[in-house]
This record gives sequence, structure tokens and C-alpha cells, in this order.
Amino acid sequence: MSGGIVAMQDAGYIFGSYALTFAVIAAFTWRVIRGGRRLANHIDDNDKYWT
Amino acid sequence: MTDLTPRSGPEPRPGSRSGRRKWLPIVVIAGVLVAGGVIVTQFLRSAVDYYCNVDEVGDRSGCDTNRRLRVQGVVELGTVVSSGGDTDFVIAFNGASFAVHYDGEPGGIFKECIPVVVHGRFDVASNTFMGDRVEVKHSDEYVSVNDARLSEADALADSCETGTT
Amino acid sequence: MTAATTPTTAPVEPALRVRSSGTMATRTLGIATIVTMGWLVAFGLGFSPADRDQRDAVRILYMHVPTAWLAYLAFVVTAVSSAMYLFGKKHSLGFDRVAGASAEIGVVFMALTLVTGMLWGKLTWGVYWQWDARLTTTALLFVSYIGYLAVRGLGGTHDQRAKRSAVIGLLAVIEIPLVHFSVRMWRSLHQEASVLDSDGDVDMDGLMLFSLFVGVVAFTLLYVWLLLHRSRVIAMEDLLDDQGLDRALDQRRAEFL
Repeated sequence: MSGGIVAMQDAGYIFGSYALTFAVIAAFTWRVIRGGRRLANHIDDNDKYWT
Repeated sequence: MTDLTPRSGPEPRPGSRSGRRKWLPIVVIAGVLVAGGVIVTQFLRSAVDYYCNVDEVGDRSGCDTNRRLRVQGVVELGTVVSSGGDTDFVIAFNGASFAVHYDGEPGGIFKECIPVVVHGRFDVASNTFMGDRVEVKHSDEYVSVNDARLSEADALADSCETGTT
Repeated sequence: MTAATTPTTAPVEPALRVRSSGTMATRTLGIATIVTMGWLVAFGLGFSPADRDQRDAVRILYMHVPTAWLAYLAFVVTAVSSAMYLFGKKHSLGFDRVAGASAEIGVVFMALTLVTGMLWGKLTWGVYWQWDARLTTTALLFVSYIGYLAVRGLGGTHDQRAKRSAVIGLLAVIEIPLVHFSVRMWRSLHQEASVLDSDGDVDMDGLMLFSLFVGVVAFTLLYVWLLLHRSRVIAMEDLLDDQGLDRALDQRRAEFL
């Protein structure tokens, strides 16, 4: 690995950008999954075109 | 005849929008229209021709010395002097140059031989641009610090080319 | 990433065995996305070198650029799906759901582009934000698609929603070339393109370019995964709305019998 994470300049901004990106993606993904599970319990399997 | 007109107060169903506040999209659309107006205004005021080049100051329409300007040029080699929290340097572009006095220490990746945009006013008496904001305009070229081309790149930087575009 | 649960202790109604929007294909895709994201972190924060001028700040590029490109792609998919709905013979609502799902994902990616760009800008330019051509047109694009999503939520029938949002989806996509070429058309603080530039050259170190490639692959997989799931969720929402309406009408008819 080049440099080294400890010696990285402006590590707060750089790690912050990665952490923020993955946090937002995780939150959106969780919302989609939760919506899918909640609604799937009220829909007949025959109406789920992906099954 | 059966009355099929909607009744108020239906029970919210899973996935139904009936339980949600109906006015929310309208508020969002209103906000979007206001934000869009602000953005378009900013575009017309600021984004079109974001800066004047050094050689255009006092020469080109919109780059008059009696108004607030944003000036783009390359920081000349060996001209950066920092003292008492202020920074002095010379910017050049296309054969023209002038001194800049900046009330502060530039942030970002400011250094010699890098293009910058300085906000401020031109002081004709001292032929100095009095800057109150400096933005570094980095290039679209990405070169590894470990790359073998580094020496070549440094040689190019040392020549401190001031560009013509 | 999702799991269709099959309880072992209680009998399950045959018609309700699938309890999520996932399938074996999306689960495989989800695992591939997580693995590729891991590679992206390894290359972005570890293996890729620092830049001569920007030093380590260049690592934000591997989040900023892929999210921007995938946001563009998402909005183009919205426009194509909108056109398929509007001009298709069947006016299939499936296209409308893909359009809506893609726009939602695009807005999330565009928001990430703006935030990571601001952090990158602070490190390189010295400022978080400036009203230059690229930033201003990008902000306009972002706000336009928030408006698109708000219009989708206005209510009415599914066909009304599909028609009005399709028109907006087709109009808003015109902004993408404006954003992309803004740095060439006007003087901008934002740098010009390094990969998809006008002369076809790639002004980027090899390992940096590969790290960017990993980022684009990772976010593309994520986009496809999210698009499949979100489209299915919207389909279920629509179905429940329809079923709810049917039930209400049946109930009302029964009151008069």
C-alpha cells in the first residue's frame, strides 16, 4: 500500500467522504429492503412478477 | 344507485399513500421552484465566465478595473511571500502579470506554478490586485507521486508555464 | 442482501412464500456488489497512489466520479423508460416504475456527488462551494429530479402519475449534456474531464485509472441491484393501492345491497 493510512493527509475529509457515502447507501438500501419485506407480506405470490 | 364518491378518513394501508400527508409534494415542488430560481439567477450572475484571465483585466468587456473581479492566472515561481498572516505573490497568464496581495493564507493545494482564481479589486495606483479570496484551479491531469514521470512533471512545473487558454 | 424466509415451525400459506423483493439473482448480485465495494475501499484508500499536486485528497475521486456517472446513467434510464411508457403501444406501467425507481437512485447518487465534491473542493480549491458553471448546473440537475420525485407523489391514478412524470423525465434529461460540457462551454473553477475528454486522451496514472474503474463497476452493480428491488417495491405499492381501492368499492356496493 502506498503511503499508509495513518500518515494520510487530510484523513478526516477523505475517510469522511467514504463513510458518508457508505452510510447514505446503507440507509437507502435498508429502506428499500424493509419496504420490500413489509409489502411482500400483503401481496399474493402470483402477483409478484419476479417469482 | 351506489354512491362511489370518496369518503374522508380511510384507514392507511401498507404501501398506500393515503395515510401520508398530501401537501408534502406540493411544498417540495414549491421549494424546488424557489431553489431553481435561485440557481438560475446565480448561473446568470456568476457562472457564465466565472473569471477574467490576467491578460484581460482592463482590456476585455466585463473585466474593468473599477469593479470587483475574479482573476485567473498561474502563481509565478519564487514570488510567494507570507508575512503577518498576509500573502503576496505574482500571477501571470498569456504574457501578462501583476502582483496580488491576499489578506490571509490561501487554502487548498495553493503553491507556486499552480493556476488560481483570486477574488478582489484592482488597485490601479499600486498596480496590485487586492484579493480577499483565493481558489486553486487544479488541472485535469492526475500523476502519481511515485510515478517515473515525476521528474519530467517537476521539470515542467519548474518552467511554470502560464498557458494561453 | 435480502432473504426470503421460510418458517419451519408454522405452516405457511402457499400464496405467501415469497416475503421480500429478492430473488437468487439479486442475492448473488448483492454479494458481488459488497465484494466489489470492498475492493473499491482497498484500492481507493490503500493501493492507489497519492497525486503529485493533490496528494491524498485525490482518493475522494473514487467516490465522487462513479456516483456522478451513475447518477447520469440513472437519469438517462429514467428518460428512456419514460419514453417507452409514453410512446409504447401498451403504455406499460412497468416502464413508469423503472423510471421512478431509477430517478430515486439517481437523486441519492447525485447528492453523494455534491457532498463528496464539496469535501474534495475544500481540500483542493480551498472552498466547499462556488457558483461556477459545473457546480451550478449540477445543483440545477439535482433540484430538477427532486421536483420529478415530488410530482410523482402528487396523487391521482397510476396512469396520471406516469404521464406527468414521463414528460418531466424527458425534459430534465436535457440538462445532463449541459452539466457535462459546462466546463468546456464556460470558464469554470471545476477541472475539465480527465477520462472522457474531447481529445480522447486519458490524463490519469494507471493505478488511479484502475481504481476509478473498480469504483464504476461497484456503483454500477449497486445501481442495478437497487433498481431491481426498488422497481419491485413500487409495483407492490401500486398493487396494494389498487387492491385497497377495489376493496373500498366492493364494501360500498355491499352497503347498498
